[in-house]
Amino acid sequence: MRALKKTIPHIFLMAYLLVILYPFLFVLFSSVKTNNQDIASNPFGLPGSITFDNYVNAWVNAKISTYFFNSLYIGVLSACLSILFAAMLAFAVTRMRYGKISAIVFQLILLGMLIPNNSLLLPIYGMMRKLDILDTHMALILPYVANAIPFSVIILAAFMRSLPGEIEEAAVMDGLGPLRLFVRIIIPLTVPAIVTVFIVNFLGNWNEFLLANYFLSDEELRTLPVGMVGFRDAYNTNYAQMSAGIIFSVLPVMIIYAILQEKIIEGVTAGSVKG
Amino acid sequence: MNKALRNPLIYLLFVLPAFILFLAFFIYPIFTAIDNSFTSWNGISKDVQYIGFDNYATAFHDAAFWKSVRNNVYFILFSCLIQVPLIVFFSLLIANVKKLKGLYKTAVFMPSIMSTAVIGILWGFIYNPDFGLANEILGLFGVSPVYWLSDKSWAMISILITNAWQWTGFYIVMVLAAIIAIPRELEEAAAIDGATGFQRAIKITIPLVMPIISVVIMLSIAGAMKAADIVLVMTKGGPAGSTDVMATYMIRYAITSFRHGFGNAIAVLIFVFTIVITVLYQVLISRRTERIEY
Repeated sequence: MRALKKTIPHIFLMAYLLVILYPFLFVLFSSVKTNNQDIASNPFGLPGSITFDNYVNAWVNAKISTYFFNSLYIGVLSACLSILFAAMLAFAVTRMRYGKISAIVFQLILLGMLIPNNSLLLPIYGMMRKLDILDTHMALILPYVANAIPFSVIILAAFMRSLPGEIEEAAVMDGLGPLRLFVRIIIPLTVPAIVTVFIVNFLGNWNEFLLANYFLSDEELRTLPVGMVGFRDAYNTNYAQMSAGIIFSVLPVMIIYAILQEKIIEGVTAGSVKG
Repeated sequence: MNKALRNPLIYLLFVLPAFILFLAFFIYPIFTAIDNSFTSWNGISKDVQYIGFDNYATAFHDAAFWKSVRNNVYFILFSCLIQVPLIVFFSLLIANVKKLKGLYKTAVFMPSIMSTAVIGILWGFIYNPDFGLANEILGLFGVSPVYWLSDKSWAMISILITNAWQWTGFYIVMVLAAIIAIPRELEEAAAIDGATGFQRAIKITIPLVMPIISVVIMLSIAGAMKAADIVLVMTKGGPAGSTDVMATYMIRYAITSFRHGFGNAIAVLIFVFTIVITVLYQVLISRRTERIEY
C-alpha cells in the first residue's frame, strides 16, 4: 500500500514528462527518415535504416549557419549593452547621493515593465524607418537593448542596494572617485546578478520573433527563429528535412540549458516575478 | 564621502544612456501611437490627415476585431481555468516526491526557454493531418483524422494547447520554489495531527503559496495579451481569421495592408485593455490575497 502510494505521483509525473519529451523524440526520429512516406508508415519509432541526408540538406537549404551567427551576435551584443547601461543607471540611483531624482527615475523605469510590448511594435517600426535603419541589424539591436533595460535595472539595482555601504566608504577613503568605484568595486561584486540578467536577456533576444520578422527583409540578415519559419514555409512538404532543421535550432539551446540549468531557471523565474 | 558620490556630471553620464533609451523606446512610442491612431496615415506618405475617433469606431464595428478580442479572452481563460489547476497539481506532486525531483523540474521547464517560433513549427508538424503525432495517436484509438490547424473549430484550441505545453512547466517551477520554501515544521505538525496528504495540500500548502499563484495568474494574463508569435507561426490568424488575436489583427492592417493609423488605434486598444485587465485583477482578486514584495 505504501509502495503504491509512492508510485502514483511518479506515474502522473512520468506521463507529463512523456508529453514534454516525446514531441522532441518524434522530431528526432523523423529527422533520420527518408521522406514523408517513411514517417507515415512508422510514425512512433526509429526507422529501419537511418539516414543523415536531411541534416546535410537542411544545413544548406535552411542556411542555419548564417541565421545562427546572426542570432548569436545580435543576442550577445544587445544583452551586453543593456547590462552596461542598466548597471550604470542602477549604480547611479542606488549608490550616488541624489535620492529624490533617483527615486523618480527608478519609478519611471519600473513603469516600463507594465507596458505591453505589442502596442509599441508599430511606433518603433516607424522610428526605425525614420532613422533609416530598417533592414539592418541595428533595427533589432536598438530595440532589444532598450527593451531589456527595465528588467535589468530592477535586478541589478536590487543587488547593488544589498551591498554594504562600508565598501564604498573604504573605497572613497582610498581616494577612488565614483567612476573607478563603479568599475573596480561595484561591477566585480555584482557579477552573480549580471550573469543572471545576461542569460535572461540573451534568451529573450535569441527567441524574439516579431521585430525580427517585420524589421528585416534581407534573407542574409535573418535571425534563427525567423529563418526557421521561412525555411518551413519554403520546404513545408518535406517534413523529414524540416525535422532536421528543428533539431539544429533546438540543439544549441538544449546544450546551454544542460550546462547552465540551475542558473537559467533561477534567472528566468526571478525575472518574471519582478515583472 | 558624500562629496565624492555627488558629482552631477558623472551622475548624468551614468543615468542618461539607459534613461534616454527608455524614454525613446517606451514612453515616446506610446504618445506616437496615440497621435497616429487619430489619423488615416498609411505609414509612408508625407501628408497625414486627422480623422478623430474614426479608427476606433471602425474597430468597434468590425466583427473580426471582436473575434480577435475574444481569442485573447480565450487565451486568458484557458490559462486561468485549465493551466493554473494543472500547475498547482503538478508542483505539489513534484514537491512531494523524493526521487527524480531534479529531473522533473529540469524537463518540465525546458520548453519555456525555447523559441516560440520553433515550438510553433514543431507543433505544426505534430498537428499535420496526414502523419502528425496527434492524429497518429488518435488513430490508435480509431479516431478519424482531425484537421487541427485548418479546421475553424479546432485551430484555436490547437494553439492554446501548444501555448500551454510551452509555458505550464515554467510556472510549475515558480510554484514549486514557493512550496519548497515553506518551513517543513508546518507540514510535520499537520501530519502528527493526523492530516492526510490531500488535506495538508488543501489546508496548508495551497493557502501558503496563494501569493505566488496570484503572480502566476497575473503573468498568464500578461502573456495572453502578448501572444502573437505563436499564432503567426502556426496559423497566421487563419483559417478565416478564426485564430486572430489583437496583436495579429493589428499587424495585418498596419504592416501588411498599410493602414498605419488604424493599426495604431489597435495598439492603443491593446495597451488600454492590458492595463484595465491588470488593474481589475489587482483590485478585485489580488487584493484579497497577501501582498507580495516585488
